[in-house]
Amino acid sequence: MNAPVNAPARRVLKVAILGLAHVHTEGYISILKTLPGVELLGCAERDGIASSRTFEGVKMFSGVTALLEQRPDAVIICSETVFHRELVERAARAGAHILCEKPIATTLEDARIMQDACHTAGVNFMTAFPMRFDITLQHTRQTLQEGSLGAVLGIVGVNHSINPSSHDAWFADPILAGGGAVMDHTVHLTDLYRWFFKTEILEVYAALGHPLGSSVETSGILLVTLENGLHASIDCSWSRPAHYPRWGHLKMEIVCEKGVLVVDPFADHLTLFDTANPAPTWVSFAPDPNRAMLLAFLESVQKHLPPPVTWLDGYRTLQVALSAYTSSQTGQLERITSQEF
Amino acid sequence: MTHLRVGILGSGAMAQTHLRAWRALDVPWLALHDRNLETATDLAHTYGAKVYDNAAELIRDCDVVDICLPTFLHLEAVMQVALAGKHIICEKPIALSTKEGMAMIQSCETAGVRLYIAMVLRFFPMYRRAAELALAGKLGTLQVLRLKRVGFPPHGGTSWFADDALSGGIVVDMMLHDIDYALWVAGDVVRVFARLTRTTTQQYAQAILTHSSGAITHIECGWAYQNGLFRTALDLVGDAGLLEWSSDAPPSSLRLPNTVEMIGAVPLPAISAASDPYTMQLQHAAHCLETGSPFEVTTQDAVRALNVALAVRSSALSGRAVMV
Ligand SMILES: NC(=O)c1ccc[n+]([C@@H]2O[C@H](COP(=O)([O-])OP(=O)(O)OC[C@H]3O[C@@H](n4cnc5c(N)ncnc54)[C@H](O)[C@@H]3O)[C@@H](O)[C@H]2O)c1
Repeated sequence: MNAPVNAPARRVLKVAILGLAHVHTEGYISILKTLPGVELLGCAERDGIASSRTFEGVKMFSGVTALLEQRPDAVIICSETVFHRELVERAARAGAHILCEKPIATTLEDARIMQDACHTAGVNFMTAFPMRFDITLQHTRQTLQEGSLGAVLGIVGVNHSINPSSHDAWFADPILAGGGAVMDHTVHLTDLYRWFFKTEILEVYAALGHPLGSSVETSGILLVTLENGLHASIDCSWSRPAHYPRWGHLKMEIVCEKGVLVVDPFADHLTLFDTANPAPTWVSFAPDPNRAMLLAFLESVQKHLPPPVTWLDGYRTLQVALSAYTSSQTGQLERITSQEF
Repeated sequence: MTHLRVGILGSGAMAQTHLRAWRALDVPWLALHDRNLETATDLAHTYGAKVYDNAAELIRDCDVVDICLPTFLHLEAVMQVALAGKHIICEKPIALSTKEGMAMIQSCETAGVRLYIAMVLRFFPMYRRAAELALAGKLGTLQVLRLKRVGFPPHGGTSWFADDALSGGIVVDMMLHDIDYALWVAGDVVRVFARLTRTTTQQYAQAILTHSSGAITHIECGWAYQNGLFRTALDLVGDAGLLEWSSDAPPSSLRLPNTVEMIGAVPLPAISAASDPYTMQLQHAAHCLETGSPFEVTTQDAVRALNVALAVRSSALSGRAVMV
C-alpha cells in the first residue's frame, strides 16, 4: 500500500511540517518521503525560532511565514502543545488543511479558537490519533460492535511510557505541554473508548502522582464512565524505566460477559540484542499506524472529504485530560458537560 | 514436621486446599467436620483424614482448628473455638465487618488462644519476592502499583459467594488480597474510589487507592471470566525501578498440546511446581503456634485490609470517593 489515493489524475500534494518538537516528527518525515504524489516542502519552527534539528534531504525554512508562502495544501503541526493554536491559526489563514498532534491544545479555549480559525478559513482539522489506524485495534472495535462477546463488564487500559524529561524535556514542562503524564497519555485511550462505543465520557475520577522535584505529575490513574454506563480505567503513567526495551506500551483488556479481549497492539516485536544498547530492545514487525494515518489524512485533503478524525475528537479527549486534574485536586468525581458544537 | 493435631471445619474448596497442604506437611493427626457429611467423607478419604459428624467433638480432640467455612460463619466459629480454648487458623476475610473482626480478636485474647487469618497472597512466591525487593528499597520510593486478580464466578455465580450479605461481595472477598498487598508494600491508604459492574452471575471491579505516601494503586478484580480462567498480575513502580509479573507468563513446566485441566468450583491461582503458597502459609502458622513466635500477618493487618475493602465497596456503591 504505497499510493495515498487510487483516484486517477491526481495532483501532487504539497505538505509542510510546522514545529519540530514532537517525537513523531522524524517518523512523519520518513513516511512522507516514501509517498508518491506528495511533495514535502520542508519544515519550520515559529518565526524567529531557529531549529536545532535537521532532517536529511528536507528543507529547513527560516520560519513559518516563509514556509507558508510556499502555499502548502496540508500541514502537520508538531510543535510543543502550547504553540498549536498559533500555528493552526497561521496555517488556516494560509488555506492549508491541518493534521495536528495530540493533545490538540493546553486549554479548551485555545482548542475552540483553533476550531473557529479552521471553520472561517474553510480548512479541515484532523487530530492525530494514529491508534485508530492500527489493525489490531480496528479488529477489536469490530469485534465489540458485532456484540458476540455480550455486554462489556469493564475495561482496563494502560498507556505507559518512559519519562520523557530526559530526552524530550518539553513534554514535562507545565507551560509547553500543559501538564505531564496526563496530558501526554490520557487522550489516546480516551479516544479509543469513545471510538469503540460511539459515545462520550461522562465522568472522570483521577489520582495523580507528583514525585518530589518534578514540576508535573509523572503518574496517573483514571477511572472514567462512558455515557453507556461502562467503566474503564486509564493508567497514563510515565512508569517505565529509561532502559525499558521500548518507549512503553498501550494495552487494554476488555472484560465481557462471554470472554475477555486482551489487546496489545505493539505485541508484534523482536527482541534485539546489539552493541549500541546496554539492554535488549523490542523492534516492531507490525504495520506502522502512523503511515495509515498520514495516508488517510492526505486522502481526505485530496478528495475534499471530511477528516477521518475530527477536531471534536481532539476536544473531547482534552476535556477528559483536564478533568483528571480537577478530580485529583478535589479528590472527587468530575462530571463532564458535553456542550454541543 | 509439626506435631499439631489439626481439625478442619468445612469441606469446600479451601478445606480441600488446606487438607492437601496439611498432608504435605505430614501432620500426625488430621480430621474434618462439615455439615455436608458426604463431601467431608469424600475429602477425608482422598487425603487420609478422620471425619467427625460433630463439630464440638472435633474441636475438643485437636490442638488447632482450621476454619474453612463461608465468611458469614467465621464469627460464630471463631467464638466457639476460642471458648473451647483452641488456637485458630481462619480463612480470610476475617469477618464481614471490622466490628465483628475486632470482637473475634478480643475473644481470642480473652480466651488466651492465638488467631491466624490466612492472608495467603503474602505467601505467593512472586508476590513475596516483589514485596521483599520493594520493602528493601530496590525500587526507590514507590509511585504507582498495578494489581490484577480476575477469575470466574465461584460455583457458577450462584452460591453464598454471590450474596454480599454472606461473602461481603467481590471487593471484601477477593480484592481484599490485593488491598492487603498494597497496604503491605506501599503503606496506609487515605482515599479510595471504585467502580463495580454486575450481571446475574458476574462481578467486575476496579479501584484506585491513594496512599498517605502519595503513591497510587490500581486494582482490577473480577468474577468475570469463563470457567477455568484465572489471571493475576503485578506491576510495581518506584522512582528507581520497576517490577513486572503476570500469570500469562509461561509456567516452569508446560505440557503441550494442552490437555484439559481440572476446573475447581472456586477460582484459585495456578501453583508453581516449586512452591505451594498454601502449604508455606500453614507451615508458617504451625511453626508460630509451636514456638510461640509472632505471625507474619497479624490480626490487625487483617482488620486494616478489611477496613479499606469496606471503603472500596462503599465507594463502588455510592459512586463517590471515600476517605479511609
Ligand atoms: N485464600 C484463598 O485463596 C481463598 C479462596 C477462596 C475462598 N477463600 C475463603 O475461604 C472460606 C471458604 O471458602 P470456600 O471457597 O472453601 O467455600 P465453599 O463454598 O467451596 O465451601 C464452603 C464449605 O462450608 C460448608 N458450610 C457449612 N455451613 C454452611 C452454610 N451455612 N452455607 C454454605 N456452606 C456451608 C460447606 O458445606 C462447604 O464445605 C471463605 O471465607 C472464603 O472467603 C479463600
